[in-house]
Amino acid sequence: MKRWLMDILCCPVCKGDIVLTVTEENEEEIIEGTLRCDACQVNYPIHEGIPNLLPPESASE
Amino acid sequence: MTDRESTRRRVRERYGKVAREGGFGCGCGPGCCDGRQDPQSVSASFGYSDEEQQAVPKGANLGLGCGNPVALASLKEGDTVLDLGSGAGFDCFLASQKVGASGHVIGVDMTVDMLEKARRNAQEGGYANVEFRLGEIEHLPVADASVDVVISNCVINLSVNKPQVFSEIFRVLRPGGRLLVSDIVLTAPLPDAIKNSSLLYTSCVSGALLKEEYQKCIHDAGFSRITIYGESVFPLNHIISEPELIRTIGSVPLDEAERKRLSDSIVSIKIGAEKKM
Repeated sequence: MKRWLMDILCCPVCKGDIVLTVTEENEEEIIEGTLRCDACQVNYPIHEGIPNLLPPESASE
Repeated sequence: MTDRESTRRRVRERYGKVAREGGFGCGCGPGCCDGRQDPQSVSASFGYSDEEQQAVPKGANLGLGCGNPVALASLKEGDTVLDLGSGAGFDCFLASQKVGASGHVIGVDMTVDMLEKARRNAQEGGYANVEFRLGEIEHLPVADASVDVVISNCVINLSVNKPQVFSEIFRVLRPGGRLLVSDIVLTAPLPDAIKNSSLLYTSCVSGALLKEEYQKCIHDAGFSRITIYGESVFPLNHIISEPELIRTIGSVPLDEAERKRLSDSIVSIKIGAEKKM
């Protein structure tokens, strides 16, 4: 995931802001990390460069 | 699990399989369609030029669309474009070339395997302005009024909550922003046997709305200037599970004229709308 994307990402449920935490990043993009919505108290994972922003109830299906 | 959830899960499983097994025949896997339909010829028939097909990484075009929304969208340098149900990334990559380095393209898909494929294609093609994320088109992870153009190709019919999809599109568009979709609609109600088939739901047939209902969903979401740019009968042999469809249609007691009317009622439509300034 490239950093420019943060400008337009939001929580898929409440549409509020999400906070990025990076655990692995290369010159181009974020590879592993988390996007957290404090309002919903949900962590959306970034894995192998792809943010998983499925709503929690369908991500667990 | 509710009906909606189980339908959504089936759609996700189906297209995960298509992503993993690749573009055999119509996309449904080896043995189906006898390899008569390759993705290139299917896409050519829906309005993609040879040039467009050659301009994207091999494997980005799975032949799963039913139109060419990018061609309709008149994208400008610097536009932010959102593709709903981006699959292996075909339309995103075409849009990427139009919006240039100052523009952005975001693909949303709920199928992990499709996203991984799209991401590999983006790396292979060196598309710096394209990003993919796992998400649902009914719950877009995209901020209000942040997108200039929303495109979607043969996907919204698969949604279990179409009014919510159009409301979400309206929300993320900037005032003056536009929606351009290709999708399957019906010009007459389907017989029950077909309507109730889950396989034909995931094949873009049973979940399709009547054309008037589809337009009403767009209107009710708040859009104006709803315009139909084209519509044509969707050839049955382009449907992902053609053999099953033919079998199901065969099991319905219809005379020849009724059968013809049924196959003529499955229509690919190109439709646009605007969020007023």
